[in-house]
Amino acid sequence: MDQNVVSMTNVSKVFGESSNNKTIALQNIDLTIAPNEFISIIGPSGCGKSTLLRLIGDLITPSSGDIRVNGKQAHQARLDQDYGMVFQAPVLFEWRRILQNVSLPLELRGVKKKDRETQARRLLGMVELNGFEDHYPWQLSGGMQQRAAIARSLATQPQLLLMDEPFGALDEMTRERMNMEVLKIWEQTQVTVVFVTHSIAEAVFLSTRIVVMSARPGRIMHIVDVDLPVPRDEQTREMETYFRVETEVREWLRKAEEYSG
Amino acid sequence: MSTSQRYAKLLRQILSLLTILVLIFLVWEGLKWVGGDIWRPDQNPLGITHDPPLRFKIASDLNLPHTWDIGAAFGRPARRNGPPLANILIGAALFTFREALVGFTIGAVLGLTLGILFTHFHLLERGCMPYVVGSQTVPILAIAPMVIIWLKAGWVSVAVIAAYLTFFPVTINTLRGLRSPNPMALELMRSYAASDWDTLWKLRFPSALPYIFTALKIAATASVVGAIIGELPSGIRSGLGGAILNFNQYYISGPAKLWATIIVSAFVGIAFYIIINAAEWLVLHNRRPTRG
Repeated sequence: MDQNVVSMTNVSKVFGESSNNKTIALQNIDLTIAPNEFISIIGPSGCGKSTLLRLIGDLITPSSGDIRVNGKQAHQARLDQDYGMVFQAPVLFEWRRILQNVSLPLELRGVKKKDRETQARRLLGMVELNGFEDHYPWQLSGGMQQRAAIARSLATQPQLLLMDEPFGALDEMTRERMNMEVLKIWEQTQVTVVFVTHSIAEAVFLSTRIVVMSARPGRIMHIVDVDLPVPRDEQTREMETYFRVETEVREWLRKAEEYSG
Repeated sequence: MSTSQRYAKLLRQILSLLTILVLIFLVWEGLKWVGGDIWRPDQNPLGITHDPPLRFKIASDLNLPHTWDIGAAFGRPARRNGPPLANILIGAALFTFREALVGFTIGAVLGLTLGILFTHFHLLERGCMPYVVGSQTVPILAIAPMVIIWLKAGWVSVAVIAAYLTFFPVTINTLRGLRSPNPMALELMRSYAASDWDTLWKLRFPSALPYIFTALKIAATASVVGAIIGELPSGIRSGLGGAILNFNQYYISGPAKLWATIIVSAFVGIAFYIIINAAEWLVLHNRRPTRG
């Protein structure tokens, strides 16, 4: 029995069919992610980080190889709503109030209105958005919108959370606050997180392991273990280990840049 | 927006409308002052005599009746011992509006259906779209007699002609609107294994609404034009099309009557437009584009 939340074996993804527009986005990816890990994926632009995340979520299908989520085929896992996803933008529906946005996944599952609203309220409390249930998305700041999106991704209580550069559009201060928020949720819910980012600081602060990728074709260069104590707080950023890991990731990224075509 | 702000906005709107109306009046009568026929004291509200220095053909009393003559025409019987023209035109306007409304509804439903089908079946879109576009290049005046032959002369065939003008903008905009959602929003629905049906009603259709309302506004005015034109070859005399045809024939004996009919026709189109605008406000007033 496969105990891993995610296991990818020899996965490749090729875009385009004819030989002149063929791009190998990912090549021979082997990756296993254990329960309650926090994995960051980092690499130069065009290295296929987002593609990797979308393969796990079965938003695209691999050209070859095998992807399992919770021991099931990725496709089945998606049908079972086994994961929640947070995108680069909040993608809240502007015609729905925040409460209806957060309860959308439950609505799609056919959960009763009263039950799904109770759940949505609880999640909004968790991301500190109490009192904004009846607001429309445009009435919220960018950071608040992304917190609502995180609440929505947790609505079905998934074991796996896929996050695609969720804080890339936010300013530095908001981003650091959001990082604390994500860690809190990670500890509270025991969820497994796969987090795509291009901020080294963010990756080191959040992760238990960091996957460094190279581009053209996208490959895993190295996986850096982050042996920082949990729970993490502001002091973590001043630890010697923090700087050591940050340097290590930076060196691997430099190698990845050289390696990339 | 507070209630008082809303009233202020409405007041400003009415004021600007009135300003334009006054401007049109001034240009119109100014043209007649400079180059129209002689003003006789018993035929203008000022009671003055004035001999314009120039004579423009376009500003003669036949080609461009005085605004007050058009206004007075509403109150006078169109025919000896008949009811006042206003009564006839209101009846005609209601008749034509019914045709336009039925045509608009048929066209809107057809347009929405085609838009939804084309979004989900690309092959159907590729196959049918050229014919949909082609249908609009055939002049309505060529189509109308055929529709009347098929369906017999009557308000139903006029409604079908109105629908013919209506469905096209609705089809095109629905198609565009249903494809407008952010790719990430579509991925979000996919990540939750939402069915095509759920994706249609919970994402695509709400996203398409602003586009659809734009199309409905075009369709509302087009349906009035379609209804008026549809009446011409069908020999229907009860609507505005019939009235235009009639007063056109007797233009020389009463030019103001045709002008009055044109004004009423424009009002029907404007009224329909305002109804759709109000519906749009009801449905969409809570929406604002979301900042990043």
